[in-house]
Amino acid sequence: MTRGLVALAIVALFAVPWLVTNTFFMHLAIMVLMWTALGAAWNLLGGFAGQVSFGHAAFLGVGAYATMIFHLKLGLAPWYGLVLGGVIGALVSLPIGFICFRLRGPYFSLATLAVAEIIRIIAINWETLTDGPVGMLITTLPELRVLGQPVDWESKTPFYVMIATIVVAVIGATWAITRLRFGAYLLAIREDPDSAEAVGIDTVRTNVTALALSAFFTALTGGFYAIYFRYIDPDAVFSIALSVEMVFIAVVGGLATAAGPLIGAVFLVTLAEVFRERFQVWHLIFYGLFMMLTIRYLPEGIWGRIGLLLGRRG
Amino acid sequence: METLIQSLVSGVLTGSLYAMIGVGLTVVFGVMRIINMAHGDLVMLGMYGAFWAHVGARVDPFLSIVVWMPLMFLFGMAIHRFLLRKVVLGGELNTLLYTAGLSLFIANLALFVWTGDYRTIKLSYAVMPLRPFDIAVPIPLAISFGLAIVITVALYWLLARTDMGRAIRATSQDAEAAALMGVNVERTATITFGLGTALAGGAGVLLAPSLYLYPTVGEILVAKCFVIVVLGGLGSVPGAIAGGILLGIIESLGAVYVSVAYKDLIGFVIFLLVLLLRPAGLFGVGKS
Amino acid sequence: MRLPLALGVLAALAVAAPAIAQDTLKIGAPQPMTGPDAPFGDKFKKAYGLAAEEINAAGGINGRKLEVIIDDHQAKNPLAATVAEKLITQQKVLVLTGGRASGQAVEIASVAQRLKTPYMVDHPSADIITAKGFEWVFRNNPTGSIYPMAFNNFISEVPGAMPKSTAVVYDNTVFGKTIANSAMTFLKSRNVPIVADEAYPVNSLDFKPVMTKVKATNPDYLLLIAVATTDAILLTRHAKEIGVTPRAIVGFGGGFGVEDFAKELSQLADNVYSSAAWSGNPNDAATQAFYNKFHAKYGIYPKEHEVEGYAAIYIIADALKRATLTGKIEEDREAVRQALLKTELTTVFGKLKFGNWAGPLGDQYTNQNIYSPEHSVLAQWRGGKLLNVWPKANAEVAYVFPDPTLKR
Repeated sequence: MTRGLVALAIVALFAVPWLVTNTFFMHLAIMVLMWTALGAAWNLLGGFAGQVSFGHAAFLGVGAYATMIFHLKLGLAPWYGLVLGGVIGALVSLPIGFICFRLRGPYFSLATLAVAEIIRIIAINWETLTDGPVGMLITTLPELRVLGQPVDWESKTPFYVMIATIVVAVIGATWAITRLRFGAYLLAIREDPDSAEAVGIDTVRTNVTALALSAFFTALTGGFYAIYFRYIDPDAVFSIALSVEMVFIAVVGGLATAAGPLIGAVFLVTLAEVFRERFQVWHLIFYGLFMMLTIRYLPEGIWGRIGLLLGRRG
Repeated sequence: METLIQSLVSGVLTGSLYAMIGVGLTVVFGVMRIINMAHGDLVMLGMYGAFWAHVGARVDPFLSIVVWMPLMFLFGMAIHRFLLRKVVLGGELNTLLYTAGLSLFIANLALFVWTGDYRTIKLSYAVMPLRPFDIAVPIPLAISFGLAIVITVALYWLLARTDMGRAIRATSQDAEAAALMGVNVERTATITFGLGTALAGGAGVLLAPSLYLYPTVGEILVAKCFVIVVLGGLGSVPGAIAGGILLGIIESLGAVYVSVAYKDLIGFVIFLLVLLLRPAGLFGVGKS
Repeated sequence: MRLPLALGVLAALAVAAPAIAQDTLKIGAPQPMTGPDAPFGDKFKKAYGLAAEEINAAGGINGRKLEVIIDDHQAKNPLAATVAEKLITQQKVLVLTGGRASGQAVEIASVAQRLKTPYMVDHPSADIITAKGFEWVFRNNPTGSIYPMAFNNFISEVPGAMPKSTAVVYDNTVFGKTIANSAMTFLKSRNVPIVADEAYPVNSLDFKPVMTKVKATNPDYLLLIAVATTDAILLTRHAKEIGVTPRAIVGFGGGFGVEDFAKELSQLADNVYSSAAWSGNPNDAATQAFYNKFHAKYGIYPKEHEVEGYAAIYIIADALKRATLTGKIEEDREAVRQALLKTELTTVFGKLKFGNWAGPLGDQYTNQNIYSPEHSVLAQWRGGKLLNVWPKANAEVAYVFPDPTLKR
């Protein structure tokens, strides 16, 4: 039954480009999925392991820059760069993890924020590698043939399929974790790190693994960001605001749930767009107010609340 | 030599203002374990307070502090009483995000009301700096420095000598034990948040004549706040003061002897090192 | 559960789409209307408003009304792409303008190129925007690397003005970097030693340390480059407070050319130079008439931004008038592009003809105004007014050099 529903959801997800003809709505759909992937990737660490990172923009930026640098400086097609970027993101996360996981609670959060800022400052100043504040721009994407057909980069469909695949992968990974012993370890660490250690869980290693996985998907999405927007600069992809937004999406959707980030992203992206259109100057005021109301009245997130309601009834 | 002394003087003066911002944040964290993302915006409100007092009522901005600090105190108590109290129960993360939302709300409301224009306060007596021994000491910064010392001493007296201060310190050390000893923890939290807000507002008033103000200036200030309070140890008042002055000196010396491009990086690296090696802060008085 | 209800009402309110008149010709303008850059968005809104009003009062575009749709991108890059996409596909605008900061303009240019919609850049200055071969992107204003041109001419042509040494302090943005590179390339070609080369993070709160460092090098000229007005103000104030005493302080970038600069610094602003994209030739009668008209309507005198925004609408209107519009949006956009390519016009900003040529740092420009090198001007603050001093043909007043207020 559940499996059927999941299969149906995936089919529906990939059917969207053939049902929606309006390119702007397609753009919004892509934005929703991009934020879903980011929220879900963050959730792997923040939701399950309970380690609240305020520096995930670092991984997004690393993925985006890796994709761009491999393409513009080494001539590697960006879709390979995207995957490589994911791997590099995971590698970069290892030393960060070993440093930051020695800290707990708010100290961990502040440390990740500092690391992200350090990486941003390096990206601005290391001009030979990143072109500094000028940023990197792809003017035309190279030709790609899938099943003998050239991909039409002017349409939204290939980008949609790309990001939808990432979303399925990251939500699939989240779902798998909830079934594996690894997931149980993470939850045990979140609830009580000392007891977890006492029963023989290597907390640092488990956390570092979760971070690497989370960083991999975040960097992958960063690579997608580079390909889709075709222009990146350090202040855009390493900003603290991006990190905070990822956290917010996961929290609004519901921490440590598989579908939560999707709900959170749908809600926030459409709401932000609607507010921007309707309230003009007022929209960020409303956005802030909305953030406050959600956390005040739905502290377990939208999907979390639905889960609670269903649980109560069943 | 002149360059070194000038850098140190600038560093200490700017650092004293950083310290003022940090103290408010750390007091609140000590009692409530809240990292208040809206702290920078509260500072911004204080800056506008000083500005409007100067432009609207022709009151010297520094003098206006006697009005704004009590008002900000009441405002902070109201925020805690009506907005934060219930949210705090939802845990650290929720509180943090809630204050992030509050920050967005305050900053953009200010943007709507006051527009995004940059404003500065022009003081007729402070166009050119004092030059003792050929070292430039900007007058508004010197006055702010003096007032920051006065406020800090007053805060010490409040924390050390009054019942309220004792309640705050007790709650900060161990909330449960304090509750058992008959301290009304809820009320203490409300007053502490009021105190933190008043300090933020006071810092804003002191900053305004030396800086420029615009509604979203809080974002720049808040990242510095975090560095300051961690350097000194989260929750420690003397730590925040030392942390603020230290950051001022680090930035100043870093800009002069390394490079301005990397001065923030130096701050963050030291911040990380302190977190790792001395999580209770450089002076070992914070809470790890 | 009052909250879900409230949210529902909000959502319902939002879904009902606004009705848009169908017979107008639409220009889309992504601008920062909220966020830290909001004051600049407002300047352009005023300029566009006045231009559109005038054109429509004079009969519009061959009888059809012109409409400028401003949409807020909050100075965020991805949002700029979203806004551009929305204006093109939802609002069906014929042509884009605006952008304000370079990062957002690059996003808009990239979208415009992909969706085959002309983008007439009015203010963003990063060279990269017209240096990547985007045939749908046009630019009236000079690129960043052209900004120092008037200053370069000044030091070359005025006897004894060539710097003996120069300190360069610039912000770490596309803007700051480009101008600093351009200025330093020229100075090095004249064997002027660069005694300080300092890139600061934008929106710094304290420039006393960097000025302390600069003072120790005792520069003959101090070049300050700032994209943010706040940085421009504090850089100048702190340079004077610390007591840097060059023969001239020269500012580059919007911040040094806005009214606020003088308002906030009062006498400290006196004699500071600003080498920038100009705000039209003030000795020109048409430009002066525009200044007065703008002042009558809004109570402020237009500067760089307003002049550029106002001129942009006239440039687009001129192209629209010449283009044969069929009502099929794709064909019309191509027709507008073709018309823009053939533009030969003088606006309040100055002469315009789009062309492909090489910039001072070797960038190959596409559809960049070929008169751009003439649109750089050196001005000087005098008693709260920014007056052109070089080149001589556009000068409103004689230059004061060396700056006497900087003597100890």
